[in-house]
Amino acid sequence: MRALQVCGLGVRYGQHRVLEEVDLELAEGEFVGLVGPSGCGKSTLLRCAAGLLRPDRGQVTVFGRPIAGPSPEVGILFQDDALLPWRTARENVALPLRLRGLSGREARQEAEVWLRRVGLEGYGDHYPAELSGGMRKRVALAQVLAAQPRLLLMDEPFASVDAIVRHLLEVDLLRFVTEAGIAVLLVTHDLEEAISLSDRVMVMSAGPAARIVGVHAVPFRRPRDPVAVRAEPGFGPLVEAVWRALRAEVARMGWELTA
Amino acid sequence: MTRLAALVALLVSWELASRARWVDPFLLPAPSAVGSVLYELARTGHVWVHFRVTVWEAVAGLVLGTAVGAVLGLASATFRPLAEVVEPAMALLNAVPRVILAPLFVIWLGIGVASKVALSFLLVMVVMFFATYTGVREVDPRLVERVRTLGGGRRDVVREVYVPSVSAWVASGLKVAVGFAFTGAVVGEFVASSQGLGYLLSFAQSTYNAALTLALIALVVAVILLLFWGFGRLERWWLRWKPEYRRRRRQPVPVPAGRLPEPAEQL
Repeated sequence: MRALQVCGLGVRYGQHRVLEEVDLELAEGEFVGLVGPSGCGKSTLLRCAAGLLRPDRGQVTVFGRPIAGPSPEVGILFQDDALLPWRTARENVALPLRLRGLSGREARQEAEVWLRRVGLEGYGDHYPAELSGGMRKRVALAQVLAAQPRLLLMDEPFASVDAIVRHLLEVDLLRFVTEAGIAVLLVTHDLEEAISLSDRVMVMSAGPAARIVGVHAVPFRRPRDPVAVRAEPGFGPLVEAVWRALRAEVARMGWELTA
Repeated sequence: MTRLAALVALLVSWELASRARWVDPFLLPAPSAVGSVLYELARTGHVWVHFRVTVWEAVAGLVLGTAVGAVLGLASATFRPLAEVVEPAMALLNAVPRVILAPLFVIWLGIGVASKVALSFLLVMVVMFFATYTGVREVDPRLVERVRTLGGGRRDVVREVYVPSVSAWVASGLKVAVGFAFTGAVVGEFVASSQGLGYLLSFAQSTYNAALTLALIALVVAVILLLFWGFGRLERWWLRWKPEYRRRRRQPVPVPAGRLPEPAEQL
């Protein structure tokens, strides 16, 4: 069974065709990176997969079922960390557990376990405003993982944190999803991030009417260290190959590219 | 501390100026004279009747105004056609000085308590309407989306996002509303009444009793400051998650060592 299957997806805003004939598949437990020029509709695609946006055409199925709204099997991590500001870190992580019917006490206990897993032991009583950007990201990650999704959709999840914290988050993320067998669709601008984490990297065409125009298999096996993998001999050529595909698309948007 | 010193300096120089007859004590009585009037008022107990009436009017206006304003605000924010009627009316009421309606209330409701409660109610209601109306409309859609994608239904969204978000607006609105509630009561009494602090003020003015006037002003200011302080405390507690109300001891948060993999693991 496919974790995610998108068939002939089309989305338009008024007269503007954003996506057209998008097809993509994610196997169970597979990590797929999605790169494309800015504004090409990557986020729109992700919102369709999350059940937050109804496509005009085509079909989205998650684990064999057509999607009709947000599902507990699907976790979402977007760029802005939308933690509830009036809830402490622990209560934020406990939220999906309570929504699943756990008692407040059980939910808080399990939330504490998740906080420890993302390295935030002892920060449970802090409100989001009292935490750094990187720490908030970790709380958001713990929150999503605590809901125990089978498919994780991420849109530039680490874009707002500095490079060092970002690497730490990538290491944690990859370990968690590999251990738990969670399928991931990651939208990012960062080619190296996409390659270092993914099993496959897909390139989207420039909009309007964006589609998937290329798929690159990543030859590194998991579990792997997403930082160390950048030193592998095959890494550089792969970045080069994906960049070439992407550059062709960026050029279509009117950028003057030399060399 | 500086402010306290400045206040003391002001009172002392005022006292001296009045005693030395640099200013006419008839127009500006010394603080000690005002103080002794206050003391007399308290001792004879005469003022408490009026005090109670005014506080009662203000509290009644505050409670009714908050209830009606909040319900109208919620209803308008969730039901579009209602907003199209109510919102411009409220905006108009907000733009004009609402106390000009005081004489009308006296004609309609008489010179008793009812006309003062009505004025106080009107002042409070407009503030609370906008607090709840904007509160609901300003709810962060990302938070709604977040709760939904984590498996929450409509009721969860209301409980986890709408209620806390709107109550933050209501809390700040209440602080403003308390002052307005007293404005409504006192101004209403000023226009026409037989009791209340506004009535006493009007009486003091008509008899050119500056000391009594100042004493009553001091009394009203003291009550409002006390309520302000009380509501401020309540707001700080209620909105303790906001960065501006952050508890001091929590301020600098050291970033924990994190989960850097061991070097051996890395290579």
